[in-house]
Amino acid sequence: MKNGSREFTEKKPQLLKFTDSQVQNSYTGRLLRARRKGLLKAFLLDYVLSYYFVFGVTTLYYHFAEESVSLPGPAFGWMALAALVVAAAWFQFSESLGRVMIFKTDKMLKSQETTNFHWHQKASGWFGFALFALTIVLGYVLTEMDLPLLFSAEGLAGAQRIFSSLVTPNLSIFNMVINAMIVTIFIAFTATAIAIPVAFVLSFMCSRNLMNFSSTSRFVYAALRFLFNFTRSVEPLIWAIIFSVWVGIGPFAGMMALMLHSIASLAKLYSEQIESIDRGPIEAIEATGANRIQVIWYSVVPQVVLPFLSYTIYRWDINIRMATIIGLVGGGGVGTLLMQYQGLAQWNEVGTIILTIAVVVWLMDYISAKVREAIY
Amino acid sequence: MDPILEVSHLHKIYDSGVHALSDVSLKVMPGEFLAIIGLSGSGKSTLLRCINRLIEPSNGSVKFEGVEMTKLPQTELRQMRRKIGMIFQQFNLIKRHTVLKNVLSGGLGTKPTLSSVAGLYSSEERDKAYAYLDMVGLAEKALKRADELSGGQQQRVAIARALMQDPDMLLADEPVASLDPSTSHSVMKYLEEVNKKLGKTILCNLHFLSLVLQYTTRVVALKGGSIVFEGRPEEINEEWFKRIYGEEAAAVEIH
Repeated sequence: MKNGSREFTEKKPQLLKFTDSQVQNSYTGRLLRARRKGLLKAFLLDYVLSYYFVFGVTTLYYHFAEESVSLPGPAFGWMALAALVVAAAWFQFSESLGRVMIFKTDKMLKSQETTNFHWHQKASGWFGFALFALTIVLGYVLTEMDLPLLFSAEGLAGAQRIFSSLVTPNLSIFNMVINAMIVTIFIAFTATAIAIPVAFVLSFMCSRNLMNFSSTSRFVYAALRFLFNFTRSVEPLIWAIIFSVWVGIGPFAGMMALMLHSIASLAKLYSEQIESIDRGPIEAIEATGANRIQVIWYSVVPQVVLPFLSYTIYRWDINIRMATIIGLVGGGGVGTLLMQYQGLAQWNEVGTIILTIAVVVWLMDYISAKVREAIY
Repeated sequence: MDPILEVSHLHKIYDSGVHALSDVSLKVMPGEFLAIIGLSGSGKSTLLRCINRLIEPSNGSVKFEGVEMTKLPQTELRQMRRKIGMIFQQFNLIKRHTVLKNVLSGGLGTKPTLSSVAGLYSSEERDKAYAYLDMVGLAEKALKRADELSGGQQQRVAIARALMQDPDMLLADEPVASLDPSTSHSVMKYLEEVNKKLGKTILCNLHFLSLVLQYTTRVVALKGGSIVFEGRPEEINEEWFKRIYGEEAAAVEIH
């Protein structure tokens, strides 16, 4: 056999062909587990969608029949039960919306799915369409849209009063506004400057492609993702309220709020960029026997520095805007000043502040656009 | 003489259910230039990556220089990887780094983390990198950015990078598949030199039979994840060719 040809046996290339029973068992076992998990997820999703459907229909009933926008308390209890019945009924069909959505997106289960259809050919498609239509109608009802009110004589008179004050600013407070504005800019700057290195380090730990090597690393990934998603879903305005109680009203509270939110947002943007890089250079550096930190430094970092820079500038833009607003709830800077004059209904002074904010934000946007151009 | 690499009953099943390797067994002696041929999707790349465990095999054993690779924990695996250089179809250089830094990165396996992150290289390391760059004829390009080089030149830099880690064996995954015919020959000649002058064992995935005939000492053919032929390049006659590549296939000469 050493130099001659091996006995030839014709084997057609084919999927799912097992020659070793051990190999087969491990694969089918994993497939079964994935299927069980998928079914559970599908039912939960079906339940959520059914609950939303029942909720939407009930809300519309109360709006049109009982002329009330909000639901009475007991309604939520029986809606949960009704949704359970609807979801259980749905789940009998192999093409319930939840099952289609879960099974079509799972890496392992996707290969087992063979059905392909247009949405209008199946009941689940129509259910999806009904949910979409329901959402549009609910949007109209729940926001209490009222166009005549917008153009009533009384409303227009109020609008005219405030606009005319705003465009005749009181320039005697200009120096004070500029001082507050400088504080605001530094709130944004400090928050961004601290957030960048922290988010940079943490972003590698919440990138799926780098943290997929052991159960500990996957736990760190999941924990960080959860923490950041939570931090991000609470608006900076609310963080500012929390910090103004924690460290007292002032720029420090505003800076902390912005910094925390920036870390979470930047870490997410950074890690998404890391997840989309070319795997080739990683393989090449791994093959040299390099350790994890070396692999990241030599193959990941060079691919992400430019996008990171661009995201950071984008975040700086957001922080400048947010820093002006954050003062409204006790975060210091120009926003606090705005809140004081607005509370006294001194609209000319408010006008001065708004114009200053507009000019500064526009100027900062212009500068960062120029910087971005220079980088690329 | 003991084989440098011994693969036995190797299986790989991907999560998607594709059985990419099925019961592959293979012995490679030191100093061989082994070609692995077969259609796209026949499992050639998977086989190479299962050897240094860039892909985890599902089942079976891989012995390199007598050490069982499949059971090694991470730290020991990294030590073994230093002895196995690898080059790729897409070259996989760090595009934004200089050619020299790319070659130096081949030595990361033996370098402390701190000094490699700081980018501190000794003059011996630099001399060694320049020597290998000189060997592939690119010493004067050392300070250019890697993406300024042509495809063939980039692959030669990748060869220098692989040599930088002092490997006993080189894995070459379709090294010339994205190159034009004349550059293909230049890259293959450098690989031949690495094999003959430096005595490194080479496992090379190839598409073109003419390159196999010209450069390699032994051939293994994969079809549907299994080995269907093993022998000397000149033993592949018309009939074998059709069995490996299918009835409709015709040999494409590359000059």
